[in-house]
Amino acid sequence: MTTRLLHNRTFHGFMFSAPLLVLFGAFVIYPMGFGIYYALDRDSYRALFGDPTFRQTVWNTVWYVGVAVNVKLFLALLLSGILDYPYRWIRILSALFLIPWAIPALPGILSFRWMLNSQWGIFNHLLTKFGLSSVPWLAQHDTALGAIMVFHIWKYLPFWTIIFLAGRRAIPNELYEAAAIDGAQPVQNFRFVTFPLLRNLYLICTLLSMVFTLGDFTVPWLLAGGAPGDSTHVLATLAYRYTFHMGRLEWGMATFAVALPVTLFFIFLLLRWVKI
Amino acid sequence: MRTRRLLLWRAPWIAALCLALALIGPGLAGTAAAGEKLVVWWNKGYYPEEDAAMQKIAKDFEAKNKVEVDLSFTAQEDLLKKITAALIARRVPDVAFCFFNDWQVVPKYGWNDQLADVSDLIKELRPRYNEKMLEVAYVMNNKTKKRAYYGIPIEAQTMHIHYWRDMLREVGMEDDPAKIPMKWDDYWGYWKKAQDALRKKDSAKYGKLYGIGMTMSTRASDTLYNFDMALLSFNGELLDKNGKVIADQPKNREAIIKTLKWFGELFTSGYVPPDATNWSDGDNNAGFHSKSIVMTPNPSQSIPASQFFNKDDPQKTNYFDNMATIEWPDGPDGKKARYLSAVKTVIIPKDSKNQKLAKEFVRFVVEPARFLEYVKAANGRWYPAFTDVAKDPFWRAGHKGPKGQKDPHVPVATMIYQDRDNKAFEHWKHPANSQVYDENIWGKAMARIAIDKWAPEKAADEAIERMKTIFAGYK
Repeated sequence: MTTRLLHNRTFHGFMFSAPLLVLFGAFVIYPMGFGIYYALDRDSYRALFGDPTFRQTVWNTVWYVGVAVNVKLFLALLLSGILDYPYRWIRILSALFLIPWAIPALPGILSFRWMLNSQWGIFNHLLTKFGLSSVPWLAQHDTALGAIMVFHIWKYLPFWTIIFLAGRRAIPNELYEAAAIDGAQPVQNFRFVTFPLLRNLYLICTLLSMVFTLGDFTVPWLLAGGAPGDSTHVLATLAYRYTFHMGRLEWGMATFAVALPVTLFFIFLLLRWVKI
Repeated sequence: MRTRRLLLWRAPWIAALCLALALIGPGLAGTAAAGEKLVVWWNKGYYPEEDAAMQKIAKDFEAKNKVEVDLSFTAQEDLLKKITAALIARRVPDVAFCFFNDWQVVPKYGWNDQLADVSDLIKELRPRYNEKMLEVAYVMNNKTKKRAYYGIPIEAQTMHIHYWRDMLREVGMEDDPAKIPMKWDDYWGYWKKAQDALRKKDSAKYGKLYGIGMTMSTRASDTLYNFDMALLSFNGELLDKNGKVIADQPKNREAIIKTLKWFGELFTSGYVPPDATNWSDGDNNAGFHSKSIVMTPNPSQSIPASQFFNKDDPQKTNYFDNMATIEWPDGPDGKKARYLSAVKTVIIPKDSKNQKLAKEFVRFVVEPARFLEYVKAANGRWYPAFTDVAKDPFWRAGHKGPKGQKDPHVPVATMIYQDRDNKAFEHWKHPANSQVYDENIWGKAMARIAIDKWAPEKAADEAIERMKTIFAGYK
């Protein structure tokens, strides 16, 4: 029996993949199980929904994901059209355009914070130069949340633009030639050729970006840290605050669990779309 | 061919064995070392001298007890997360000292029965303690339903106010700390006057300067000090002596409203930087060092201590001549300020396998001569919790300047600890109060008024209600 088992190819395959399975179990299954165990505590949800900061956070997350992702992808779609022109200077521009995405998030965010400082930041300096009053960008809810969205768009726009650019370049040139024979102008080219062929890619990118942005911690935390008055938290930063500032792991897990159905729905749509 | 086949079917077993060894090996090594190694997590000091002093203590302890001390230093924000994660996962160090232990670890994890009862050690050290600082570790255990000592207080910080003397001199205002008006309205008005005068004198240089660097952000623990100090000035109390919420009693509610109203008016008056509602703990320090604010309230002596080590100022002119430390003003009722101290506390987790050795280590650290050397290495940033250490002439005299100047900082802090009405922060009374601090509900209330333009009454009622909800969650 043992000898047969030792010569069984399936068993060999299993043994060779065992390290990966062990790692998968240790770093994916176990933490998920642990998280679900903690997230099942009903008292946590009572506490969460009784916390005014949580309610505000849910709205912030909806705004953040809804606005930042859609504005970013719409701009990326338009910009990819510009970067698709076959000029030399466009290639140089494309390289420069990638810089925000290539630099690490931390120095970018810290620089942005300094630029938004109400006392000596460049934005207020320019405003006052033109005779306008300075704005406490990070010290009021709307502008602070807006700043988070703007930074997110600035940082991740190049990545999605490149994706759309690749999508555009995959469209056969013959279609544009045929459209030209029919007398199509650039806007009609975009409306009747480019966009219909990019539509699936656009939707997949939107879903992917929504999943990424829903769990985004770095930008909201480092730029505003929840301030002013804990009014700019998103679910990821609030879960972190509950877990590590307040030692309430179960609340942190429950916060993530609240977002889980939405994330799973997006993933489900995504999988359906790409037919995996 | 046969050899190859033999090797092939042995390969999975070899791979599995390697994996097993890789996973189990470190555990075996750990087991072998257990009992001989003391794992100590210590808060990284603000100055290299503090860390060097602790490393020396650890080495001396190793030599004396023939054990290994695995001492690591971590910055306070990261260390709190590390300790929290360790206590949740029950994979703990033997000794942990974090500047946030007193209000974010001891009350909660003492309540959860996850910290070692160190009452025996406290009893032994009691004759040496400043009694006011001892109560911070006397917290409730929800399992035993009794209070006990779940931490060893070692050093404290309290509220000071620092200001730039040279800026006041520049506009002809009195800069001597003894001559700054100490009556409530006059005191705050003095810094407003300084801002106006400086901006008027040189609008290009001081156009964006602010008089008062008052932290009012939910991101900063300084906000808690500012609120609680102001609340004491307005004679308000949040808890009774048993840890029951009394914030909703009419007298206290009124004091809270007055306090929040005062903060709101201060913020909207234009004398506090607009970003103060978004500051982290280091931002008022940074604003002060860059001279974009004239004065700032700050718990601990970190600002002057930083100037003392300023390499660009070898004569220490800033420390001795250009800046000063003064007291919080007298309350609106004219009474001298009452102070709050945050007493920094060492913990020994209950899951530590080396509790006896851990206590021995703490005992060793706090021996008078050794602890004096350690706490002095922080340059007066902390004040010792032990009366014998506090008797050292350093605390009353401070440093001597290169031109024979007197220290304008350390003796002021010592006077606050020794001569003023001073009590520990009240998170020890109830673990829920620890959460009140964690949530920074008073910082949120300040933001409601300053940013959302709520009436102080509405903001106060929301905060009081939240406080009561939090307390109700602890059964």
